[in-house]
Amino acid sequence: MPHRLLQPARPATLRLAFAPNAASSRAVAEAIRVFLAEQGVPEKELFSYELCIAEASNNAIEYAIGPGRDLQPVAEALFTPDQIELRVTDHTAGFVLPDRIAPPSPLGDRGRGLFIIQSVMDEVRYLRGTRENILIMRKRRRANLAPAAAPKPETASGLSLEESQRQLTESKSARASLAGELSFRSETLGAIFRCCAELGRSDALSSDFGKRLLVDLFHLTTADWCVLRLLSPDNRTLVVAAASESEMASEPLALPLAGEPPHGIEATAAATQTAARFDLSEESHRTEPLRSIGPNATGLVCPLVFGGSLVGTIAVGRRDGDFPLGKLQDEVVRIFAEFLAIQTVNLRHHKAEVRQRVVTRELEIAQEIQHLLLPRTLPQLESFGLAGGWQSAREVGGDFYDALAVGDRSLFLMVADVMGKGVPAALFAATMRGLLRGLAARSDDPAKILSGLNRLLYAELSAVNMFITAQVVHVDLVTRQITAASAGHCPPLYVPPGRHTVVAMPTHGLPIGVMPNTNYVSETAFLGEPATLLLHTDGLTDTRNPAGKLFGQKRLMGWLSANAIAGHSAAELRDRLTTELNRFRGSAAMDDDQAFLLLTEAHVDASPSADTGHPRLQFQSGSFLLPANA
Amino acid sequence: MNISEIAELTAMNSASFRDEVHAALPGAPSVIEIDLSQTRFVDSSGLGALFALYRATAERNGVVLRLLNPRPEIQQLLELTQMQQLFEIVQR
Repeated sequence: MPHRLLQPARPATLRLAFAPNAASSRAVAEAIRVFLAEQGVPEKELFSYELCIAEASNNAIEYAIGPGRDLQPVAEALFTPDQIELRVTDHTAGFVLPDRIAPPSPLGDRGRGLFIIQSVMDEVRYLRGTRENILIMRKRRRANLAPAAAPKPETASGLSLEESQRQLTESKSARASLAGELSFRSETLGAIFRCCAELGRSDALSSDFGKRLLVDLFHLTTADWCVLRLLSPDNRTLVVAAASESEMASEPLALPLAGEPPHGIEATAAATQTAARFDLSEESHRTEPLRSIGPNATGLVCPLVFGGSLVGTIAVGRRDGDFPLGKLQDEVVRIFAEFLAIQTVNLRHHKAEVRQRVVTRELEIAQEIQHLLLPRTLPQLESFGLAGGWQSAREVGGDFYDALAVGDRSLFLMVADVMGKGVPAALFAATMRGLLRGLAARSDDPAKILSGLNRLLYAELSAVNMFITAQVVHVDLVTRQITAASAGHCPPLYVPPGRHTVVAMPTHGLPIGVMPNTNYVSETAFLGEPATLLLHTDGLTDTRNPAGKLFGQKRLMGWLSANAIAGHSAAELRDRLTTELNRFRGSAAMDDDQAFLLLTEAHVDASPSADTGHPRLQFQSGSFLLPANA
Repeated sequence: MNISEIAELTAMNSASFRDEVHAALPGAPSVIEIDLSQTRFVDSSGLGALFALYRATAERNGVVLRLLNPRPEIQQLLELTQMQQLFEIVQR
C-alpha cells in the first residue's frame, strides 16, 4: 500500500508499569518528563506533561479497588513531532468523564486533578473496560503542525489503537442505547397487552383499570401526574375517568360550542384533535385549569380519537418544569392515546351489545316462564269442553289462565292479568299459579282464594308497585252452579238456564296487591244448557279496530250469544273468537295481551252424563285443548 | 515563620509538609511565608496541602499566608486552580 510509505516511523514510546504507591507514581512522572525531554520537548512544556501523568497516576492508585489495589498501573508516553499522547491504565471502578469539568472551588479539596488535566491537554478520553480503564491525554504541538493531515500512529488494520477503542466504545454505547429503546418499546407493548387483558375482564373503565393504566404510564414515562378524560354521552363535556391525584378529579371540562374558542389546554387539544406539549410556567397559561397540578408543571395532552371522532383526552407530565418528558416518553403517551381510543370505543360497543344481550335473554327467560304458565293440557271432561286462548301484544305478556280439577265433580277456572312485563311479571304469574293450586285444595270459595292470594302476595307486589287483576270461578259440574269472585277483573260471561243470551256476573273487588287486607265477595249463578262460560282479560274488550273503536263488552257478549248456541266444541269456539278479535282489529296494532278460557257443553243431548246426571272428569294428557298460541 | 527549600510538593511529601506547618501553628505566627523559589514541581496533592494550610489558619484572624517566588509554571497552576485567591503571591 503505497500511502504507507509516506507515514513516519512509529512514535517514540515509553511504557512503564509501576507499583501502586505514591513513590512509584512520582518516579514514573519524573521518568516520563525525562523521556519527553530526550525527544526534544522544550523545558517549559515538560511541567504540564509531568503534572498530567502525576495526576492520572495518583488517581489510579487512590481509587483502585479490591484486587485492583495489587495490580500495577501503567503509564505511557507516545511522542511524535506533532503530538504527545499520554496514557495511564488504572484498575479502578472507573468514572464518567464529563466533556468539560467545571473549575473546582478554591475552597474545595477535590476534583482538581482531572480539571488540571483537561485544562492542560487538548483532548482527554477515558476508555472504560471490565478490569481496567485507560485515560488518554493528547496534546497537539503547534510548532510541528505544518505537515497537514499528519498521520496518526496506526495499527495493522489502519486504525490507531485509540481510534479502534473509541469506535468500539461508541458502537457499544449505540448498542446499549438501541437495547434501551427496544426494552422501552417492549415494555410499552407489554403495558398495552396488560391493558387489553384488563379490558377483556371488566366491562367498564373501572377505577382499577384507571389505576393500572396510571401505573404503567408512570413506569414508562417517568411522569408524576396523569389525567384521563372521556367524552360524556352528550358530547358536551370531558369527564375525568382516572387521575393520579384526587384533586385532579375536577369538574367536567366543557367543550367549546361551535364558533367559540376553547378554554384550556385539554379542551383545545380535544377541539382541534391535536396533541400539544405545554409548560405551565409560561405567561399564557395563567388561567389554565391544569394549574391545579402545579405552577411549573410540564407535559403533553393527547386527544383520544377514533375514526375521526373524539373519545377523550389524556394529559401526562411532570410537576417539576426542570425535567420535561423526553421524545420517547412523548411517543409512548401518543401510542397509549391511540390504543385507549380504540379500546374505549370497543368497550362502548361491547357494553351496548351486552345490554342488548341481557334484554334479549331476559325476554327469552320471561317467555319460557310464560309458556310454562299456560297449562299444556286442560282437564278433559266427559261432557264439557275447555279451551284457552292467548295472544300477546309484546314479547312477554302478563296475562294467563289456568284450569284445575278438584275432586271428581268440580273445576277451578282462573284468568289473570299481571300489571307489568318482563321477567318480574312472569315470576309473579308463576307464583300466583302455584299459590292458586295450593289454596284451591283447601277451599271451594273463590273469594277466600282471592283473599288468600292477596294476603300472600301483597308485600311483594306493593314493594314493586305491581298488582294483579284476576277472576276465579268454581264450577260444580253436577249442580251446574258457578261461584265467582273478582279482583278488579272483568266479569265472567255465561248463558243462564232457559236463556239464549249471555249475561255478565256482577263481581267486584280490588286487584291483588292494592290493599293489605282485602275481603272478596263471591257471587253465584247457574249454567244453562248447553253450558257456556267465558272468562277473559280486558285485552279482549279493549281490542280496537283501525278506526279506534273498541270491541267492547257488549259486542263480546253479542258474539258469544250468537255462537254459543251453534253447538261448537270449546276449541272451535276459541278459534272462532280469536279469528273474530283479529278480524275486528284488522290492521290496527295489538295494544294489549289477550287471554281467555272457555267452558262449553257441546253435545248435551248425546252426553252420557245426561243419563246419570253425574258427569265424570277424565284426566287425560290429550293435546286437543292446547292454548291458541301453542 | 518561613518555610523554604521545598524541591517539590506532591502526593509523596504533602503529608509531611502538612505536619511540619501544623507543628509550627501553635506558636501563633502572624505571617507564614512559603518560599517556592526552589520548588520545581507541585501536583494537586501539593495544592491540597497548601489548601489545608489555608484552612488551618483561616480561623485565626490576621494571619497572612504568602507564597514567595513561584516559578512561572507553578504560578500558572495556582491561577488555573484559583488558589491565588487564597494566598498572597509575591515575587522578590
